[in-house]
Amino acid sequence: MRWLRVYVGVFFVFLFAPILLVVVFSFNSQRSLQNFEGVSLQWYRAFLENESLRGSLIASLEIAFVTMVVGTVLGTLLAFGLVRARSRWSGSANVLMLVPLVTPEIVAGVSAFLLFTQVGMRLSLVTITLAHITFSISYVTVVVRARLAALNPEVEQAAMDLGATRLDTLRLVVLPALWPAVVAAGLLVFALSFDDFVLSYFTTGESPQPLPVRIWSAIRFGVTPTINAIGTLMLAISALAIVLAIALPRLLGRRESGIGVLLGREGA
Amino acid sequence: MNAGDRFAGRFLIPGGLWLLAFFAVPFVIVVALSFGTPGELGGALYGWYPENYSRAFDPVFLPVLLRSVGYAVATVALCLALGYPVAYYIARFGGRHKHVLIALVVMPFFVNYLVRTYAMVALLSDEGVVNGVLGLDDPVRFLNNPFAVIGGLVYGYLAFMILPVYAALDRMDPALIEAGKDLYGSDWSTFWHVTWPTTFQGVLAGTVLVFLPAVGDFVAAQLLGGPGTYMIGNLIQQQFFGAENWPFGAALTVLMMAFLFVWMVLYLRSAARASQEATA
Repeated sequence: MRWLRVYVGVFFVFLFAPILLVVVFSFNSQRSLQNFEGVSLQWYRAFLENESLRGSLIASLEIAFVTMVVGTVLGTLLAFGLVRARSRWSGSANVLMLVPLVTPEIVAGVSAFLLFTQVGMRLSLVTITLAHITFSISYVTVVVRARLAALNPEVEQAAMDLGATRLDTLRLVVLPALWPAVVAAGLLVFALSFDDFVLSYFTTGESPQPLPVRIWSAIRFGVTPTINAIGTLMLAISALAIVLAIALPRLLGRRESGIGVLLGREGA
Repeated sequence: MNAGDRFAGRFLIPGGLWLLAFFAVPFVIVVALSFGTPGELGGALYGWYPENYSRAFDPVFLPVLLRSVGYAVATVALCLALGYPVAYYIARFGGRHKHVLIALVVMPFFVNYLVRTYAMVALLSDEGVVNGVLGLDDPVRFLNNPFAVIGGLVYGYLAFMILPVYAALDRMDPALIEAGKDLYGSDWSTFWHVTWPTTFQGVLAGTVLVFLPAVGDFVAAQLLGGPGTYMIGNLIQQQFFGAENWPFGAALTVLMMAFLFVWMVLYLRSAARASQEATA
């Protein structure tokens, strides 16, 4: 099995090399992307002193935040409905929830673009956010549903036998047990929205545009060190969201790890 | 239907309506406009112009469609060949570091896809790091060819293969492998007759999860390739940003969805079956 270990080692080197390159060269004191001359924060300064880029960073954060809140609420409600209801709409709702997960982003992008232009909406941060919420619902539903399906419905029955209303049961019994999954799903969706390019590209207005759209325009004019700084900062923000998604469920006092909650995606 | 069902059923409404309004309805608009015609002042007008579809099979565009499928198939094959051993190693020999290792696999995929692709440009372009290290008079042309685009796609979607394969391997009872060995199976025949069939569901899931986004990708071909490596995604993107032929772009989108539909249904059905087995 030694060769397998060697292979996995080499694999990880190749997996991380390009990313390390971006991070390391974001601190380069020279323009060069070949030679590392010395440590400097000038590219971060160039990024953050550029008012329009700063506006893009704020726009990306705003979109991700609103997407997280609205997507998590809608997705959690939908998950509860799908697991606990045997309505004649359940099947259709289930398909409607799953299809966005396997639809190539460009299809979702074209659809959203044509919808907004046909109903005469001006493309802006609002249209981007609407598009992001749409795909985030499915992610949240899948993660939360896996957790919900593992709960024992008899506990809810017991609560109601003891006189709790359905809403009380939901608030006092189901929701506390669901929190880890809800939090993990919300942070996952935050990271996905913050990183998203294709949907944003199709639904963005003129200004401010989210960061990935700005990166796209910039890359096509060639490689510049400022992009390294932007990329590294985005990496840090997504990584923070993901680390929280993994760590918070633990801190909330559950034994299962956040990554298990997120991987529930596979089992669902 | 009892009261509990009705109570829970109401929770389907907000999310269901949202998905209907912002996912299903827009796709209907795409289909409708794919039979339309470009407006005089840009945009699109409804109508009956099925030639939008026949146009996609013009000798100009057909190679692009075939290329997209070819690149996507190559991407899936490479992801499987590169990813399966990694998933296997982590699931079988990861021990208590399993979670850390699988987190390490996932981590790069939360670096923005554009930035990751751009990192490949920075590494491999004529003025890139690798050519700087090599220091040849004539830089090695790594980019602007199909290999670069497929490499970018693999780097972009590898995690979608590794995760489901890992999940399948992790679920598998290691005693099965021991049993294969006890029955004098060699390492290879044990793998082929025991491990591979047991984890095939995971491989299938990974295949579809890589294939679907790879077919529709336009970033890799744009940044790592050139006009000679353009895929259907690039063609669609051009119709909306540049060529301004929205109906043709819509027709290409519908064609792609129709082609991918079989795979989507296949995946969703197997996922539904897996979740039933998990809860049963």
